[in-house]
Amino acid sequence: MSTLEVIPEMLGINEPWTESGGVRWLSSGALSVRSIAQTMNAVRARFITITAYQLPKDEGLKLEYHWDLMGELMGFTFQLQGKSIDSIYDLCEAADWIEREIHEEYEVDFVGREYEPLLLREGDTLGVNLREIGAPTKPVSGLTGQEEVKK
Amino acid sequence: MSYKIPMGPYHPALEEPYKLDLICEGETVKDAKLHIGFNFRGIEHLAETRNYIQVIALMERVCGICSNIHTLTLCQAMEGLTGLTPPPRAKYIRTIMAELERLHSHVLWAGIAAKLMGFKTMFMTCFELREQVMDVLQAISGNRVNYSMNRIGGVNRDIEDPAAILKMVEVLEAEMARTVIPIFTTSSTAKSRCAGVGVLTTEKARSCGVVGPVARASGLGQDLRRAAPYAAYEEMDFDVPVQPAGDVTARLLVRALEIMESCKIIRQALEKLPPGEINTGDDKFKFITGTCTSRVEAPRGEVMYSVSWREGSRNPARVHVRTPTYAIMPAIRYMVMGARLADTPLIQASIDPCYSCTDR
Repeated sequence: MSTLEVIPEMLGINEPWTESGGVRWLSSGALSVRSIAQTMNAVRARFITITAYQLPKDEGLKLEYHWDLMGELMGFTFQLQGKSIDSIYDLCEAADWIEREIHEEYEVDFVGREYEPLLLREGDTLGVNLREIGAPTKPVSGLTGQEEVKK
Repeated sequence: MSYKIPMGPYHPALEEPYKLDLICEGETVKDAKLHIGFNFRGIEHLAETRNYIQVIALMERVCGICSNIHTLTLCQAMEGLTGLTPPPRAKYIRTIMAELERLHSHVLWAGIAAKLMGFKTMFMTCFELREQVMDVLQAISGNRVNYSMNRIGGVNRDIEDPAAILKMVEVLEAEMARTVIPIFTTSSTAKSRCAGVGVLTTEKARSCGVVGPVARASGLGQDLRRAAPYAAYEEMDFDVPVQPAGDVTARLLVRALEIMESCKIIRQALEKLPPGEINTGDDKFKFITGTCTSRVEAPRGEVMYSVSWREGSRNPARVHVRTPTYAIMPAIRYMVMGARLADTPLIQASIDPCYSCTDR
């Protein structure tokens, strides 16, 4: 068995990997992100990044965690209940900057860590949703950029 | 008694907006704190306001050195969402462009490293060599920085004069073997400035998740061109240089050897360049709802794009970019710990940092 095939067993998941959009996904289900990070450390996978998604309307936030194992890209998705999730920074040093960035951009609280000094906005207020604050506004003419070009 | 020396965000030894607070005891650096975000541009957010043509031009501006890599990674992800496959000739042209970009990036870095070491003549030699690569890139694309080569389903321009590229490759290879590599590896100045300086151990490189030449100079043999091939890399024969020492010399050597490997890849790609179309010819695209992720081995290491789309939309719902310097830069803290203060500019430069990518 390859290391990739062993991972679901190590995590106690019965479902196999599914492939979609260039990534091998494993249903994270009731697993905590920390147990996944511990397993990734055990198999010597390389942490790549966390991608945050602000879902439409009131559906909240989704985080996708990515690791690489010998060129295989693995992904785990977490739908946040509220705006917090455990930090993996103490288990995975490589997650430091991206956790801080997501905290600053999406107001996500990674429980168990500190954020100061802020990564991108040193001296500014902690955890704000920059996407909401910086949402594009229509120009005075009331037209979008594309509409102005057409005009 | 320890004292703090701030280096940056505007500093003669660090000519880009980034700051390092060095905690020193005498001339020895005991610890360091990094600060980024001085020019953070919010490009990921801006991408959501651009359509599928505009977003390519926007993401090309994430980096001023490896602009082509960003459009390549983005286009590969968008091709996954539109179901388009580029023709074989386009894949070869993408490979050639990616390696030309690696050449000019690595030679540029060699020049800057030489300047920081005190080798001004070598700096001029490297920039003269780089200029020849830039001339070839300009001849192919019409541009020197943002080449606008990639599009969804292929490339925008063909390679019309392979002989000119081959000629440049031969000159570059000869000069690297005759001058640059011997001086970097044998001169006493280079040895004393680089050997054993700014060490990043294999274990620390692994835990920090560093990528690209910095990882390979710390003994981690990862290279996406080999591990997860894209474009035409599966059909190329090349070596992945790995050095175990983790110091500045190892980073110098890895990049110098990668220049030679890039020349090898370009030569093979030009020899095998298949005939046919350079793109699928589509100019209107239908995206499916979903997310596609693409990774490419840029000159500085792995670039990853996650692109999400909603069917019927002209704009992406989300574009996330993980650039190599973003992964490597935190490791500078461990490289400078224990180093002499005077070595810190060279140590920082040895990761070939891209602040533009970091403040995307």
